[in-house]
Amino acid sequence: MEQFAALVRAKDNKPLRYLIVDDSIFARKNLAKMLESFGGEVAGEAGDGCTAITEYERLHPDLVLMDITMPQMEGIEAAERIVRQYPQARVVMVSSVGYQENIVAALQKGARHFVQKPVKADVLYEVVRYVMGDDVLTPQTVGAGGQ
Amino acid sequence: MSLFPEERQSELKELFFETAAELLQALNEEALSLEHRPGDAELVREVRRTVHTLKGDSAACGFEELSSLAHDLEDVLTPELARTNGRKLAEIVLAAADVFSSMLDAYRGEAPIPSAAPIREQIRQLVARPEPKNIVPYKLSGRFAWTEYEQIAIERAQNQGQNIYNIALAVDPTCPMKSAAMQLVKNVLCQLGDLLATFPDSSIPAEQIDVMEFAVASSQPQDVFTTKCRIPSIISDVLVETASFAQSVQQEPAIHVHEDPGDVLGIADPNAEASETSASGVSQSTSVKLRVDAERIDAVLNLVGELVIGKSMLMQNISEFDKRFQKDPLRTRFVDALAFQARVLNDLQKSVMKIRMVPVEQLFRRFPRIVRDVAKTCGKEVVLQLSGEETDLDKSILDTLAEPLSHLVRNSVDHGIETSEQRVAAGKTPQGRIRLNAFHQGNQIVIECSDDGAGIDRYKLVSKAVEKGIITRDEAERISDTEALHLIFHPGLSTADEVTAISGRGVGMDIVKSVIEQLKGTISIDSKPGAGTTFLLKVPLTLAIIKALMFRVSDRLYAIPLASVLEIARASASDVHRVDQHEVMQLRDQVLTLIRMGQLVNRGPLPVNKKIFVVVITVADRKFGLIVDRLVGEEELVIKALHDQLAATEFVSGASILGDGSVVLILNLPAIVARLGKAPALMEAVTA
Repeated sequence: MEQFAALVRAKDNKPLRYLIVDDSIFARKNLAKMLESFGGEVAGEAGDGCTAITEYERLHPDLVLMDITMPQMEGIEAAERIVRQYPQARVVMVSSVGYQENIVAALQKGARHFVQKPVKADVLYEVVRYVMGDDVLTPQTVGAGGQ
Repeated sequence: MSLFPEERQSELKELFFETAAELLQALNEEALSLEHRPGDAELVREVRRTVHTLKGDSAACGFEELSSLAHDLEDVLTPELARTNGRKLAEIVLAAADVFSSMLDAYRGEAPIPSAAPIREQIRQLVARPEPKNIVPYKLSGRFAWTEYEQIAIERAQNQGQNIYNIALAVDPTCPMKSAAMQLVKNVLCQLGDLLATFPDSSIPAEQIDVMEFAVASSQPQDVFTTKCRIPSIISDVLVETASFAQSVQQEPAIHVHEDPGDVLGIADPNAEASETSASGVSQSTSVKLRVDAERIDAVLNLVGELVIGKSMLMQNISEFDKRFQKDPLRTRFVDALAFQARVLNDLQKSVMKIRMVPVEQLFRRFPRIVRDVAKTCGKEVVLQLSGEETDLDKSILDTLAEPLSHLVRNSVDHGIETSEQRVAAGKTPQGRIRLNAFHQGNQIVIECSDDGAGIDRYKLVSKAVEKGIITRDEAERISDTEALHLIFHPGLSTADEVTAISGRGVGMDIVKSVIEQLKGTISIDSKPGAGTTFLLKVPLTLAIIKALMFRVSDRLYAIPLASVLEIARASASDVHRVDQHEVMQLRDQVLTLIRMGQLVNRGPLPVNKKIFVVVITVADRKFGLIVDRLVGEEELVIKALHDQLAATEFVSGASILGDGSVVLILNLPAIVARLGKAPALMEAVTA
C-alpha cells in the first residue's frame, strides 16, 4: 500500500473533511479508503445529487468528490447547485473518459477539477492538493515514509 | 496494484462480487434491449455506463483481466457504432457478459482466468482500430503567434498597466480527456486573470491538442501561474513568460497535432468520431444499417397510399368490365392479375409500415425509472411489471403516447396505489403493483396500464360532478358505472384540486384523453373499489391507412374505422324507443343508445316505415348504434389529412379518395358520440 503524507487543513491543522457522492457503494468505499489513507476524514456520503446538496449544506466539507452519472439528480446539476449556493465550495468531478462532455459542462458550471475513473490514489492525492492549494498543509512529522 | 491491507481487500472483494453480479444482470438485460433497438443511443450509453462501473470496480479490486476487457468493451460502446453496427455490438456485449461472468467465477474460486482473446478479437474487428500512434516527445516552446485581433486586446491590456503572460502548456499525453482538460485550464486561467488569447481555437478537436497557448492579463506574479498551471494528471509541462510585444504577426500559427502521417489537420484521423461511422461501420458489418430520414419513408408511404387508390380504381373498372363482358375469358385473367397485384401491394404496404415500426419497449423503458421516482417521493412501495414490450407500433404514435402514458403511470403510483400500511390493512401485499402491457388487436394496438390500488370511488366522483354542475342530479342517479368513471376525463373535474384528493385521478386526465383521441384512439377505464384500476388505451397501428366501413347518409359517403365496429343490425323504425330524451333500441339483452347520422347533415328525420341499418360501434367501452341509410362496404382507406379550413368540424378526422375518384369523409367517432350521444337538446331540435 502506498503511503501518503497526511494532508491537514492550514487553518486548524485538522484532517480534511470530504463528502463523497457516487451511486455505487463500492465506488464510495473505494474512494473513502483512499481519502483516509491521505489522512482525511469522510464527513459524509451521498448516493445521488439531491442528497449531495443536503449533505453539503449539513456538513460543509472541505472537498466534494462527485460522480457524474447518478439517479435522481446528475452530478453536474448537483455540482452546479452547490457552487451557486456556496461559491467557495470545492467540487471535484469523478468520472470516466466516456463522459467527457459532461465533465466539460461541470467545469463550466463551477467544478474545480476532475479525476478519471478508475481513480488512482496518487492522482487523487495530487488533485486534492492542487484543489486545496494554500489551504492544505503536509506536516513534516506525518510525512515520514511518504513517497 | 494493491492499495489496502489483506483483510480490507477481501472485504472489498466481497462487496465487489455482490455488485458485479448485479451489474452483469443489468448488462445482460441492456444487451438484450440493445439487440431489439440496435441504434438506440440512449441504450448504448446505458450499457456503457454499466460496463464502465464494472471496469472501475474490478480495477480497484485488482482484477486486471476483467477490468481491461471491460475497458476495451467500453471503448466500442459508442452511439455511432451502435447506429452502424448495433446488432453485432449487442452480440458482443452479450458474449462479453458471459466472459465476465466466467472470469468472476474464476476470481472467486481462485481458478485460472479464462482467456479473453476470442472476445477481444471480436471487439477489435468491430472497430478495426488504427495502429497506436507514436507520440513524438515534444519539447515545450511557445510560438505565441496571436492573431491581429488578439494582439490588439493584448496591447490594450498592456497599456492599462497589467502584466501580460504568455503561457504554453503541454498536455499530459496520457490524459484521456483533453476537452475536459482544456476547460479546466481555462477555468484556472480565468481565475487568475483575463484570458486575452487562446490557441488553438475550438475548431481543433481537443483530442489532437498537445500544446495549448494562452495570453493572460493579470496582476498576479509569474510564479503563481507556474504553480497553478501545473495541474496534476493534466498538464505535464508549463512555460510562462512575460510577454514583450510587439511580436511579429506574420508567422502563421502552426497547429499542434499528433505527428500522424497522412493526417491533414486531423480530418482524416480514423479515431475521430465523424469518420468512424464510414470507416468501421460500412466495411465491417455484414448486416448494413441505414439511417434514413423519416420524411423519405413518409414519401414512400404516400406513394404506396396512391397505389392503394390505384388498386381500387382497377378493381372498380374490372367489376364494371365483369358486368359488361361476362363471357369474356380475359375476365378471369384480369382477376388473377389483380389478385396478384393486390397481394404484392399488400406486402409492400406492410414492409413500408414496418420501417416506421418500433417496439413499444422504447416507450415502456422509461417507466421503471418514473415509477421508482414517483414511488420514492410518495413513500410507497411499487413494483412495475412490463409485458408485451416487443409489440411494434408506429414511431410517431409511440412518441405521442409517451406523455399521456407517463401521466397515467404517475397517477397510478401517486393516487392509485395506497401506502404500505393501508395496503396491509386492506389485506394486500405491502408492495403495490403496476402493470403495463401492450398487444395487438386487429388493426389496433392496445396498451394496458393497471394497478392493484384502491380503485376509483365512483360515488364520490359522481357527487363531485353534480356539485360542479357537470351532470344533473337526475342524470347522476341513472349514470352507469362506465359513464361515471369516464367523468374523470371531464376537463371541469380534472382541474378541481379537491377532486384530486378524493378521487385520486384528476389532473390533466382530459388532456390524456384528448391526445389519445387525436391519435384516433380511445381510452377506457375499468375500476373496482379496493381492487385497482385499469386504463386501456387503444390506438391505431398506424395513422396512414385504415380498414374502414363505408356507408351512406343522405347520399353522402362516410367511413368509420372497422376496428370500432362491433356488428351491424337491421331494425325497423318501430323498434326505436325513446327513453329520457335519448333514442334507444333493444338489441338482444342490451339497450343501445342510438345516434341518427342524419343529424350530421341536418337533413331531418328518416322516413318512418323503412327498415333501418344500425351499425353497432364501441367507443371507449360504450356501445352506440349509428343509424345509417345504406351500407357501402369495407375498404382500405388511405387517410389524407385535411387542412383546418377544409374540415371545419371536429366530426371529421380525415378524408380519403376512392378508386372512382369520389371522396369519402372519415368520421371521428369519439367526437360524434360526445356530441350527438349526449345532446338531447340538439336531437330534439332535429327530430322534432
